[in-house]
Amino acid sequence: MNPEGVNSSTAQPSWAPRVNSDSAVEGSLEWDAELMLRVRDGDPGSFGLLLEKHRGPVIRFLYRMVQNRAVAEELAQETFLRVYKSKGSYEPTAKFTTWLFRIASHLALNWIRDGRNEKWQASLDAESPDGTAREVPDRGRIAEQELVYQAKLAEVREAIHSLPVQQRAAVMMHKYEEMAYTQIADVLGCSESAVKSLLFRAYESLRVRLAHLA
Amino acid sequence: MKCPQKTAEGADLIIAYAAHSLAPADEAAFEHHLELCANCREMAAEQRTVWAVLDELPALPVSPDFDSRLYQRIAAEQQMAWWQRLLRAEWSWRPVVPLAAAGAVLIVAFLVKSSEPSVLQPQPAQPQLQIEQVERALDDMDMLKQAGVEATLEKGTPQEQI
Repeated sequence: MNPEGVNSSTAQPSWAPRVNSDSAVEGSLEWDAELMLRVRDGDPGSFGLLLEKHRGPVIRFLYRMVQNRAVAEELAQETFLRVYKSKGSYEPTAKFTTWLFRIASHLALNWIRDGRNEKWQASLDAESPDGTAREVPDRGRIAEQELVYQAKLAEVREAIHSLPVQQRAAVMMHKYEEMAYTQIADVLGCSESAVKSLLFRAYESLRVRLAHLA
Repeated sequence: MKCPQKTAEGADLIIAYAAHSLAPADEAAFEHHLELCANCREMAAEQRTVWAVLDELPALPVSPDFDSRLYQRIAAEQQMAWWQRLLRAEWSWRPVVPLAAAGAVLIVAFLVKSSEPSVLQPQPAQPQLQIEQVERALDDMDMLKQAGVEATLEKGTPQEQI
């Protein structure tokens, strides 16, 4: 069985920033596909293992995309529900995480494009910038430092939020999920060169907005 | 080393440098170039700043009841009536058509078979009955003939009576 389906080692330069071609990681990915095949064959325990492993990254990705905790968890629930419902037709033709993040990013992009993002942001302005309880201040951090820290976080969130959705998704997968260009391309359904272009423009925008925070 | 900003893959190199994911030899070569090139030095420093501030975003803790809510939704999905699942399911009619056709053929075959007359049952008693009836009829005819002859002898010939 070859769950990879994608040869990510040929098209990248020698400084390829990601490690998905490492044999250890490939083994891990193969294990995910194996677990999903067991779910397909009626083993609910394997679904629990997949959920345990991937729920954190999926929720974090969705949270950074939609910037609202309740919405991120709702979309994550829908993502895993779709994974479970699709178990009967699952075939390991691509990496499991590629399939998983394709579902998650599809839901997030639809949610943002439907315009619900703006409604949430508008209703939450008076409460919290992201729809969550504010982070509990570190007791060791004095009030002024805390204010500066919160302002910095708000600026970073705003900079991310200002990116076009495709660029935002590409940066989140590249920066936080450490995906290779080929895998990001598979998730977003575009070419590897398009991913490079998305990342270049996204990081350029972020440099302009955030470089002064050094 | 040629200035990365003058090459097609220069942006990749600077992004990888900021992410600390360059191979040691590539990183050393690029750092040597940074000592000579102010533009690349500035861009690399800015990219490293971006990378660092993105790292500062706190990770979102997962709600403790996330799994239980998900399993409830899965259970609700499984307890749905078959026709509700059918209506909600995203499926194609294509695989159903041959199955329906095969089912229709079976039903028609069954109906045709059941409308045919049943197999003739053996009727062993019927020939015997017919023989007895014939014998009885012959006996009756004999009795009538005999009775007719006796009556003729008592009353004269039939020609005479006529």
